[in-house]
Amino acid sequence: MSVGPFGTALVVVLATGIAVLATRWLPRADGPPPTAPERIPFLGGGVPEVHAWSRFHIRYYAMALLFLAFDMEMVFMYPWAVVFAAEGAIALMEMLMFITILLLGILYAWREGALSWAS
Amino acid sequence: MGLLTSAASRAEVPVFPVVGAGGREAAEALWLLPGVRMVDTPRAAAVLVVIGRLTRALLQPVLLVHDQMPGPRATLWWPVDGRPADDGTDGDEGLLAALPDVVTTTAGDAAGLRAVFADLLAGRRPWGPPALADIESPRWRGVGPYGHGGEGMMGGVPYGRPFAEMAQDPDGLMLDQLPLQIGPLFPALPPGLVLHLGLQGDVIRGVTLGDNPYRSWPGDPPVGPLDSVPFLDARTSPTTVAALEVARARHHLRWLARTLRLHGLDARGRRIAALAGGLSATDRPAVEALARRLGRDRGLAGATAGVGVADQATLEPLGIELAGGPVARAAGVAIDARTDDPAYAGLDFEPVVHHGGDARARLRQRVAEAAQALALAERAGDAVRSPGPPVEGPRGPLAPGRTMPSSSLIHLLPTLLDGQEWGDAVTTVASLDLDLEEAAVDQSATAWPQTPTGTSTASTRTP
Repeated sequence: MSVGPFGTALVVVLATGIAVLATRWLPRADGPPPTAPERIPFLGGGVPEVHAWSRFHIRYYAMALLFLAFDMEMVFMYPWAVVFAAEGAIALMEMLMFITILLLGILYAWREGALSWAS
Repeated sequence: MGLLTSAASRAEVPVFPVVGAGGREAAEALWLLPGVRMVDTPRAAAVLVVIGRLTRALLQPVLLVHDQMPGPRATLWWPVDGRPADDGTDGDEGLLAALPDVVTTTAGDAAGLRAVFADLLAGRRPWGPPALADIESPRWRGVGPYGHGGEGMMGGVPYGRPFAEMAQDPDGLMLDQLPLQIGPLFPALPPGLVLHLGLQGDVIRGVTLGDNPYRSWPGDPPVGPLDSVPFLDARTSPTTVAALEVARARHHLRWLARTLRLHGLDARGRRIAALAGGLSATDRPAVEALARRLGRDRGLAGATAGVGVADQATLEPLGIELAGGPVARAAGVAIDARTDDPAYAGLDFEPVVHHGGDARARLRQRVAEAAQALALAERAGDAVRSPGPPVEGPRGPLAPGRTMPSSSLIHLLPTLLDGQEWGDAVTTVASLDLDLEEAAVDQSATAWPQTPTGTSTASTRTP
């Protein structure tokens, strides 16, 4: 009886998982467990005073929002592409206006410094 | 010995160097040793090499770094000529004894280092036992309602540490600020530099300088020898101009090699370090070609342009603008002690100046000064410089009674690093070419060799 493509994929996934766990476990197997100093992050001889579990500013969020804006623009272009041949130059003009408005938005954000990483 | 063990012992030895007092030169030579790989974290190391004198302030960091190496591990000590092993003045057998199983070999002995590594892998040498107790402080396991040490939203010590305090970030948000101590054994910073930083994400908010671990207290061995020895000697004894200028070029090229390594250009740094090792005045064309190549390097320019701008207004309050030195000359200040030095009178000397005062200007300044120094060495012939006027050292002017250049340059750090991203901060620190031992001369009671400095203020020992 053949296992089929799903069975093959399952075997590959399981084998990879076991291999990953084994490579993680094997080097540690014959050594002592890590001591408290070994579990401290390396700071060049210092010890961290506070938890690294902290809230920080994700500076790429402005870029992420811009990416989303242009990503959605592509979604609008699919139905437009269907009627483009029938509508002709008017459809082209309408899409150019739409893209221009988005581009002006980017230029404004750029001028305002929204794209600089750390001010 | 099994096949695997014998193959492993032929691999490059991952070494984490600890630069003690006087050990800077030997630590750089370690980089060029065959079969040895300098690693940036004790996690990747198998051998810890303590080079030079272990000072009291370095002991705790060294013990922690030792314990952060996973086994198999060994510790080596490389003595530096004529220097004591450590500050062992408390009547015990010395600080080195606190490290387990230290093997003493000679500095630069690659074969000895590899032998220790091979013994370690073959099981002929036991793994170094931990130096610190395996205790988590504070205790958190089983504490609190969920057994993870936390209480409520922000209380307690979840997994062993409290949460960070909040502070205003540059965009007006209240966000956590991590207080961190980086150094004195952090490989991306000059050896011995301790920075206390507040970090918001990767942006630095607030910098204070930590204690200098090379500072010597009354009763300790003296500070030094420094890496600018030929220039310090020239203050009191006659020296040939050629020797002084070749030493200057070598100093700048060694700095360049370290900087390139920091920027991930390891192989290029290694070649330049090798060139600096056997440098003579006849290498001038090679160094000039190097300066041209670096001037065209877009990657390096992009990583350093506009980073760590120390313009004349920044330098002025610290007295660096009036003193000169490569950092001031990279900001457009044409001051050089060699201009008024009679030994350079017939050599057609003009100080090299760059503008902008950023890390890129300092890089170009130093490489240009290295090429200029070799040209001067060629022209100088056997001319001898007699002591008297201040000596232009590789970091700035050296004169009796004057503070060492590193002592004033180091105080640029809090101003320059505040608000920078971590990567830029590392670039900035490297571009200043700081030597903590040189800075320690001004903070210490005794220096090696005895310098006639009038600025010693250290008279009390902190507990």
